[in-house]
Amino acid sequence: MRQTRALPNGWWGMAVFMASEAALFGSLIGTYFYLEFTGRQWPLGGIAAPSVTAPLLLTATLVASSVPMALASAAARRGRTGATWLLVFAAFVVQSGYLAAQIVEYTSDLDKFQPDTNAYGSIYFTLLGAHHIHVAVGLLLDLWLLARLLSGLTDYRVKAVRAIALYWYVVTAIAVFVVATQVSPS
Amino acid sequence: MAVIGTGAERIERLGRIWEERPGVLGWITTTDHKRIGLLYLFTTLVLFAAGGVEALLLRTQLIKANNGLLSPEAYNELFTLHGVTMVFFFVIPISIGAFGNYLLPLMIGARDMAFPRMNALSFWIFLASGIFMYTSLAIGDAPDAGWFNYVPLSAARFSPGPNIDFYCLGLIFNGIASTLTAVNFIVTMFKGRAPGMSMNRMPLFCFAFLAVSLALVFALPPLNVALILLELDRQVGTHFYDVAGGGDPLLWQHLFWIFGHPEVYIIILPAFGIATSIIPTFTHRRMVAFPLVALAEILVALIGFGVWAHHMFATGLPAAETVYFSAVSLIIVVPSAIQLFAWLTTLLTGTPDFQTPLLFIVGFIVFFIIGGLSGVMFAAVPFDQQVTDTYFVVAHFHFVIFGAAVFPLLGGLYYWFPKVTGRMYSEPVGKLSFWLSFAGTAITFFPMHIVGLLGMPRRVYTYPHGLGWDATNLIETLGSYLLAVGLLMVAANLAVSRFRGKRVGRDPFDGATLEWEASSPPKPYNFPVIPTVSSPYPMWDRRDRKKDERKLERGEMVLDAGHETPATTVVDAELDEILEMPSDSPWPPLLALTLALVFVFLLTGHWVTAVVFAGASAAVLGAWHWKEPEEA
Repeated sequence: MRQTRALPNGWWGMAVFMASEAALFGSLIGTYFYLEFTGRQWPLGGIAAPSVTAPLLLTATLVASSVPMALASAAARRGRTGATWLLVFAAFVVQSGYLAAQIVEYTSDLDKFQPDTNAYGSIYFTLLGAHHIHVAVGLLLDLWLLARLLSGLTDYRVKAVRAIALYWYVVTAIAVFVVATQVSPS
Repeated sequence: MAVIGTGAERIERLGRIWEERPGVLGWITTTDHKRIGLLYLFTTLVLFAAGGVEALLLRTQLIKANNGLLSPEAYNELFTLHGVTMVFFFVIPISIGAFGNYLLPLMIGARDMAFPRMNALSFWIFLASGIFMYTSLAIGDAPDAGWFNYVPLSAARFSPGPNIDFYCLGLIFNGIASTLTAVNFIVTMFKGRAPGMSMNRMPLFCFAFLAVSLALVFALPPLNVALILLELDRQVGTHFYDVAGGGDPLLWQHLFWIFGHPEVYIIILPAFGIATSIIPTFTHRRMVAFPLVALAEILVALIGFGVWAHHMFATGLPAAETVYFSAVSLIIVVPSAIQLFAWLTTLLTGTPDFQTPLLFIVGFIVFFIIGGLSGVMFAAVPFDQQVTDTYFVVAHFHFVIFGAAVFPLLGGLYYWFPKVTGRMYSEPVGKLSFWLSFAGTAITFFPMHIVGLLGMPRRVYTYPHGLGWDATNLIETLGSYLLAVGLLMVAANLAVSRFRGKRVGRDPFDGATLEWEASSPPKPYNFPVIPTVSSPYPMWDRRDRKKDERKLERGEMVLDAGHETPATTVVDAELDEILEMPSDSPWPPLLALTLALVFVFLLTGHWVTAVVFAGASAAVLGAWHWKEPEEA
């Protein structure tokens, strides 16, 4: 692989784009606390405060998936196709499990209250839903990467691994803030 | 790297490598930043004409008391669409999409943007969102709750029709294009600068566009959140803005203005950038206080994020909040004033040659001072509460976003016209068009201060006799006709000169920045030799340019082995790698089409179909990235 001093354009593009995604979640989390501080009680309307253990464990899983992602990025830069593929796949498995468990949690919450119950329900499901969509998009990026890596590494694909790894780091960092907001009433 | 052959052979080879498909298909699949810039220019000018006709209809309705030209409903739709068009579909896309796209790569000595296909995607999404928004007018359901669309008026209960859905979805769609463009600009300026153009040697025009792009990246998400939450309230029944369900209508105002005030600087900063290009050229001297002006441009964008609630002083915010926002609104005057005094000092200490482009910049300075002074007044809370929602506010922001933002755009159209067409505009007609536009602007908008202080509220479709408003309104309307004549004269001058103008060389004005090094019109590859830069005024460093010319024969920095452009390091702009760039591609317009269908089906409430087209968009993206530039 060619050695360069500056980070590649693709990495920078992803970094700036993810800054905008972080601002999106900043606005959603801001909305959450705005509604909390203008409401008389929180959660509104006698909805039980969310459980803490399951969301925190799930977030820890997602954070852990950054390790294979970082190793995949390093392996790709050293030109090791097989190791890159396996590490991305490992991250993909953990991330899919995370999303599946999150969806189970989400639907079980929907049995207790809904987005149209009150403003708490509205922001609760919107904030978590926005996060899940970002995880789902990340899984699609993983799949695309896994398919491309089957025919080996190129300069372009090394950059793609680094950019997609960055996507996951930011989504994971955002997940920490989202879950902290989610469990804040407890 | 090919080092064989003479300079002429290298130029011929570059021409062959960078040539795109001929004809209409070539324009649809283009990834050339100059062609995309021109596509943006013509689209935004059409939309400017639409917004202008809407304004003339509004002014004609107000020409006399109790006029019956427009119904109240039609008036609501027209003033809303006028605002939405001018802000989202004219000023921002023409300055960023047209001027930025065409000029930025040229000014930094690059051959294209960092992401050429994403650049094409931005344009096609922008075009589709414009068509989407104007479909609402064609079917008679245009947005009608004002360009800032306050709830509860825009909630489902009071606006049950599709009008507001067009607004929300159309602006989210439009925002995708702006975000992509901003990302592209930032990376292009970070990584695409010619060797030697370290950050401190980047032209001030580029600093202004860097500031705008950074502001867009952080300002659009709050708007998107505001719009998504409103759409959820309207279509899913959530309660974000609904007091009965524990929500708060003021939440909309906060989210909207967290975007909306940076937006004002997003509109005005490109104008600052154009001013800092035109003033040095026509005063024959370098800008005064270059580093201060560069920092001020970035600071304005930054502080712009801390002033939003001065749009909300009349909503009963706590005193502690109003005091803070009042103070910050005063502070932001400082970086604006730094730039103003730098322009004035450059003019006064240079030898100004008042040709048409510089005249428009002088007009800009005058209007910016008037609009800026009335703007500072709003920082005083009691005064703001007195004039909120009167024509005084309308006068203020038209001086700023028409007088101060659009005049440099008009000056810029004249200034870079010879670069784009290879021909010169008519100077006497240009001067006349300036004076007509200048007088038209002043006569239209200045009396609005007076009628506003007399108590005339904005957004009323008519008014009764005997309030002392008749004469001022008549003058304003006549002024708007004069302004229209001035603008038509600008258009006519440029249209006729395109075919009849005197042919000019590559640098008719002795400009300072690298776009004047390229031929007029520039070749698809911009520069035969990638320039090496040693100051922010590279065209005035004659020896550097001579050195570049000699490199052509030696084959250095010609990069004619493929579709290539250099990438440099972020701060020092040292040559880092040679990138193989993607060439023309059918995927960007196709992706814009599938995305447009997503928004159409969201509008009509066909959720499943919308998700299907979202999946199709993902598939198109996958296919787009299947073929890698190295193998293209």
